[in-house]
Amino acid sequence: MIARFRDFAARPGGFGILAGSTMFLLLAIVGFASPLFMPYRYDELIGEGLEAPSWKHPMGLDQLGRDVLTRVLAAVPADIGIAFLGVSFPLIIGTMIGILLALSKNKVFVSVVRSVIDGINAFPLLIIAIAMVSVLGPGLFNVVIILTLLNWARYARIARTRAIVVLNENYIEAARLMGYSRKRIVLRHVTPNVTSESLAYALSDFILVIVIVSGLSFLGLAARPPAAEWGAMIADGRVFIGEAWWLTVFPGLTLCWAAIALSLMVEGLSRRNRLT
Amino acid sequence: MFISFALIRITPGDPVATRLGADADPARVASLRAELGLDRDPFTQFGLNLYNFTKGDLGTSLVTGVEVNQIVRISLPITLSYIALSFLGAFLLAIPIGTIIGWWNRAPLVYTFRAITSIIIATPNFFIAMIGILLFSVQRDWAPVFGYEGDFPGNLKYLWLPAAINTLILSAVISRVLLASVVDTKNEEFVETGIIRGVRPARFFTFYILKPSLAPSVVLVSYMMGASLGGTVILETVFSLPGIGRELVQAVLSADYPVVQGILLFFGLITVTLSFLGDLAAYALDRRVKI
Repeated sequence: MIARFRDFAARPGGFGILAGSTMFLLLAIVGFASPLFMPYRYDELIGEGLEAPSWKHPMGLDQLGRDVLTRVLAAVPADIGIAFLGVSFPLIIGTMIGILLALSKNKVFVSVVRSVIDGINAFPLLIIAIAMVSVLGPGLFNVVIILTLLNWARYARIARTRAIVVLNENYIEAARLMGYSRKRIVLRHVTPNVTSESLAYALSDFILVIVIVSGLSFLGLAARPPAAEWGAMIADGRVFIGEAWWLTVFPGLTLCWAAIALSLMVEGLSRRNRLT
Repeated sequence: MFISFALIRITPGDPVATRLGADADPARVASLRAELGLDRDPFTQFGLNLYNFTKGDLGTSLVTGVEVNQIVRISLPITLSYIALSFLGAFLLAIPIGTIIGWWNRAPLVYTFRAITSIIIATPNFFIAMIGILLFSVQRDWAPVFGYEGDFPGNLKYLWLPAAINTLILSAVISRVLLASVVDTKNEEFVETGIIRGVRPARFFTFYILKPSLAPSVVLVSYMMGASLGGTVILETVFSLPGIGRELVQAVLSADYPVVQGILLFFGLITVTLSFLGDLAAYALDRRVKI
């Protein structure tokens, strides 16, 4: 066990993958479990406003007298959880659509869907997400819906390109000659070979989505007060930046922690894939 | 593009109510509705909209009654000026850094470089911006915390910090790509020829190393221009710059859809144009690139 672990770490990219996933899991576990062991609730007023960091409150108190550490941890489900949903739905839907596009022989269907994909990808993601908020209204769950409606396009494009390559491979031809049904070929032979690439992209997309969720909240378009969310907390702290730096810096550092953990993993994985 | 164009039309929010207040006199509400063309069915509205658009008329704001063209004309230059500044800065910073580190290519240096740039890239721009404000506006009095005023020399005081932050992010991305392609270029045979022929260093670095390595970065730059237009939405909100991104956020918050639609259209046009120009420039630099 230990030897295998050491082997894993010694191979190229191993350090990045291990360090990144440890950092990420640490934050996720502490964050999701925080209501169990933190002495305060995230919306509990426990003292005077804007108290500087001390041993009792390591990250200080915010303008209403809420414990910043508690809020930073309570924001984990909002940020990482929402981002996780906002990555998995588009991943599943987009990959299915991409495979269907590659299989489809209906020219009209293919060209319509492809122009929709190009239309969505023509805009910067944040801009079009903001425009969608104006349609659906602000809120964290609307953000998941918006991300699903927009981000599938990127996954569909990746999956389609990959599926076209896979469909021309010899093993697909072999499966067809062995008389396997179309359904079996698509589910057992095409899909697993397509998803590996989409999954790799999903991990790097995770960073982008966390930044978009917190960015939208920063603009007041996703999480609404009193919900704890890093972007919204940074936006709240903006007014008090002169007298209370801790309101901004700690949520921001946590956000960086999550993003850096993920980018370590992405870099490690891509290095490993390039060399094998 | 017209798909997202149409999406905005089906918004649930009622702009007439926002403009007149909740307890407005019903007759006035009806007349304003007629004036804004909101009493007709959605399809007629969309058709009318499309017709006006072909004439170059993007409609007027439902909240303030200002023409969308006017809003864009005032706010776009502010956004473009600091984006232009930041790209200028990014070129000046990223090209030497990428070339020199790529040429030298020693492991400790490259690792430090990669670590620093990945931290910069992974950090959301609004947090970098807040740190910038904290360091330069609160700790030292080098830049105003937020606001905007006036014309050319005066506005630099407000623009330099947002531009510098954008520069930082851009040069991290660009120098990374440049470094990778410089490392590739180094192995090409013409580089060896250049060394053997004893080409002067300045000429060698510009034409033998930089020029062939630039194509991927140029494509990236055109993509990044679109991405940093997206980023402006946040940076302008942080610094309260009255640019096009902040207009968009405000329009979204007040359900002002002609403005949202108009600005969105501009963003779409700019992004598409930029990526096309980027591909052309990459082709001009390196004829092996296929458009």
